[in-house]
Amino acid sequence: MGSVRNNKKAIAVFILPAAILFIVIIIVPIFMSAYYSLLNWDGMTTGKFIGFQNYVNLFTDPSVNFMKTLWDAIILAVFSVFIQLPISLGLALVLAKGIKGERFFLSVFFIPVLISSVVIGQLWLKIYNPNYGLLNAFLKAVGLSKWVHTWLGDEKTALMAVIVPILWQFIGYHMLLLYAGVKSVPKELTEAAKIDGATSWQISWNVIIPQIKPVIRMCIIFAVVGSFKTFDMIYVLTNGGPAHASEVPSTLMISLIFGRNQYGFGSAVAIIIIALCFIFAIGIRRVFKVEED
Amino acid sequence: MMAKRRIKTTVKYVILIFWTLVSLFPLYYMFTFSLKDNREIFGANIIGLPAHWLWSNYKDALTTGNMGLYFMNSIIVTGFTIIFTILFSLMATFALERMVWKGRKQVNAIFMLGLTVPIHAAILPVFIILRKFHMLNSYQSLIIPYVAFALAMAIMISASFMINIPKELEEAACIDGAGIYKIFWTIICPLMKPAFSSVAIFTFLQAWNELMFAIIYISDGRYRTLSVGIQSLSGAYTTEWGPIGAGLVIATFPTLIAYLFMSKKIQASLMAGAIKG
Amino acid sequence: MKKKILSIALCLTMTAGILAGCGAKKDSDSGDKKTLTMWSIATEADNMHSSYLKAIEEYEKAHPDYKIKFETFENQAYKTKIKSAVAANELPDIFFTFGGGFSEPFAKSGKVVELDKYYEKYKDLLPEAALKNQTYDGKLYGSTFTTPVSMMFYNKAIFKKNNIEVPKTYDELLNAVKVLKKAGITPISTSVKDTWVLGMLHDGLTLKSAGPTKLQNALLKKDGQSYNDPDMLQSAKDVVELKKAGAFEDGATGLSNDEAVQPFLDGKAAMFFTGSWLGGDVNNKSYNKDDFGVAPIPVVNDKNATLGDFMGGASDTLMVAKSSKNKEVACEAAFEIAKNISKNAYLEGVAIPAWKIDYDDSKVAGMTKEIAGYTTKAHSFTLWFDTLLQAEDANKYLELLEQLYTGGITPEQYVKAMADQLDSTK
Repeated sequence: MGSVRNNKKAIAVFILPAAILFIVIIIVPIFMSAYYSLLNWDGMTTGKFIGFQNYVNLFTDPSVNFMKTLWDAIILAVFSVFIQLPISLGLALVLAKGIKGERFFLSVFFIPVLISSVVIGQLWLKIYNPNYGLLNAFLKAVGLSKWVHTWLGDEKTALMAVIVPILWQFIGYHMLLLYAGVKSVPKELTEAAKIDGATSWQISWNVIIPQIKPVIRMCIIFAVVGSFKTFDMIYVLTNGGPAHASEVPSTLMISLIFGRNQYGFGSAVAIIIIALCFIFAIGIRRVFKVEED
Repeated sequence: MMAKRRIKTTVKYVILIFWTLVSLFPLYYMFTFSLKDNREIFGANIIGLPAHWLWSNYKDALTTGNMGLYFMNSIIVTGFTIIFTILFSLMATFALERMVWKGRKQVNAIFMLGLTVPIHAAILPVFIILRKFHMLNSYQSLIIPYVAFALAMAIMISASFMINIPKELEEAACIDGAGIYKIFWTIICPLMKPAFSSVAIFTFLQAWNELMFAIIYISDGRYRTLSVGIQSLSGAYTTEWGPIGAGLVIATFPTLIAYLFMSKKIQASLMAGAIKG
Repeated sequence: MKKKILSIALCLTMTAGILAGCGAKKDSDSGDKKTLTMWSIATEADNMHSSYLKAIEEYEKAHPDYKIKFETFENQAYKTKIKSAVAANELPDIFFTFGGGFSEPFAKSGKVVELDKYYEKYKDLLPEAALKNQTYDGKLYGSTFTTPVSMMFYNKAIFKKNNIEVPKTYDELLNAVKVLKKAGITPISTSVKDTWVLGMLHDGLTLKSAGPTKLQNALLKKDGQSYNDPDMLQSAKDVVELKKAGAFEDGATGLSNDEAVQPFLDGKAAMFFTGSWLGGDVNNKSYNKDDFGVAPIPVVNDKNATLGDFMGGASDTLMVAKSSKNKEVACEAAFEIAKNISKNAYLEGVAIPAWKIDYDDSKVAGMTKEIAGYTTKAHSFTLWFDTLLQAEDANKYLELLEQLYTGGITPEQYVKAMADQLDSTK
């Protein structure tokens, strides 16, 4: 077997199609962006090389407030990992154990992922609308009028108001990945545990979850990386406002690159997003070591 | 004991049904939205059934531009994206997880970079590269970047499934005299069916809804995709949202069907116990 | 096994071949006709779309050797597309863009054609004053076709019921707001989330306080005029005063333009300050036309400004790419088509023309004609802040305006921050 697994030509045949595409479309652009990030450039006229000045400005210019956008992304990431993923896992476990209507629930819970962010965004705008929104109407109906609020228009609530829909929309996404993971746990293992008298809770915790560690790890990576790149929903709901209250690195980057014509500066944000996501992804892989890695 | 169990089951179902309603609501909302005018959408009647069922919104959506062509383009682009993503990611995952060579861990890590690149930062560099290869205004000007951007995720998903395939299967085949290509083709591929379906769903979602690449790399109406077509239902300063809703219903419909089909595949392949410990 | 791999390889090359075939299909010029490509934001759903189509048709009829390939894109995404196209040098022959600060880098990039010598022919029909937003460093880079301006739209029925005259001065406006507030009607509907909507009011009041010369000098950083000036401060104070008087609905910070305009169209809010395009919408849609009226934005300081000073102007622009293979023809077409759009859009009642009216306009729908009546007698046009200013300044301005509204900064801090921003990018 060893010599078969060593077959250099076969390795090249397997890896090259993906590698070539990857280098041309992902790696080369990263280097181009890295170069742009060293320029004072509007993206259209000739740029001027300014070294690492853009990076210095990122952390010192109060009007950009980059640290705050990082904070917002971290808050979102923490909520994703500790609220969204456990819900997804819970649903996946319940469904995968084979209850009545398993396929129906599985299909339905994925629907929010399937629907365009434009629709989801419009729906949440209706929920949060200060005048006729569902949330305020509900609060009034249950006698909590003093909680009535301009949810998306108030600096204090805007960030939370955009986080909730983002978490909600992608619960189904992680659920599906985790569900497939749970389903692929060999039946022999769970049945053996059952014979030993384990409760279903114990089976989940001691047998299934350790078995699907690679999938959980992957979901955590997707959730954290996704948090640092999240854009669609925030763009529709608040576009980072009011007064940057819901700004995340990607909305800042886009407004720099295409809104304020500071392509170089925006590229610096992009490079930091890439670097942070990469570090997080590698870090998560390390923390959740799976044998063989 | 029985009573306790029954309560537990009831609670479970209450939660599931609650979540079902929460998940179905956007579908209901999208559908009713697609039959209203701006007056109802913005204020008069935001979640109720439409006062007048404006089926004309669908007529507007379908007769604007060339929606049939855009639809076909989306199917072509998404279809090829899925095929190439599955094939390339599976091959790469096999080389990364099952073959033995120096530097594979590093290469594996580098592939993760694909997850990290924000699409807006890549617009201009990829634009310049595609232009160099004379590939703008064609199907491949979308298929190539879509596949490249989907690879990282697809490789991770494939890897998480491949880890569960016992190596003994391949070793047994090897002893029987099978070569590496045969092992890949006859042992690995059939066992990876659930991964196919998962990768297909997630790649589908990305490619079908993608907007920025599609609007910037395609200027020729003949290759325009559905997401861009729907977007052009909005005017410069004022927008009738009803036809957009109708367009989105039309665009979401195939997504739902594809998903139902794929999720059935996932389940069937998992149920068949293809993966035995 | 080998066979299988071979067949896959075959399949792959075949599909690649098909794809390459699809992409390689060149625009086969039908017969001897040459094709000019043109991009714009007048999507099929936009009320300007048919004016464009007709304009192109007229052009093709007059120039039988040429065909225009017309492609449209949604407004916001188009801004990204056009900037990327300039960066990558992938521009079409003729393209729509916005005048003022937005297109300044296009002119500087050297990728668009100077049009001065082509303009000569059209001098009599298109006043030079209309082209100042397309002129950079003294050279003309684009043609124009319509003249959108900020207007005060109001609900005639509500005004009548509450015995309110159409306000001509700021004090009258404030008074009207107070009366309406007391009557339980939202005086002014606006969106602060889409801050440019609030800008329509704020920019208008600033113009009517400082006058066109002072304001333009401040925004264009000319003659040492600072934005930190009592006249600019006055309008900032006015916006805050209006807010305190209850002029705007409570949740304006959370509303988008679409959400804000609806209560006005439904007769639930008395006034809406926006561009003249709303007149086209009112004309063409199923609202009760007779209920709506339109008037110039009230004057704050009659020493500096009059009702005839307008915020807005000819910002819609057609430019020609240097990379065009038929440059000469494209440059002429940029004017010819602009002229045709100007006429068609006006006749259809969707926009105010920038070109002289040398045709019968007696059938133009009410509100559009009314606005055109104001603009043909206008003293001055000043482009909106966020269009006139270069991108960096424009963004900062919208941000500051939002903060001014929410009370995050005082009017004094606002004008100072504006002055600082404008200085920093001098």
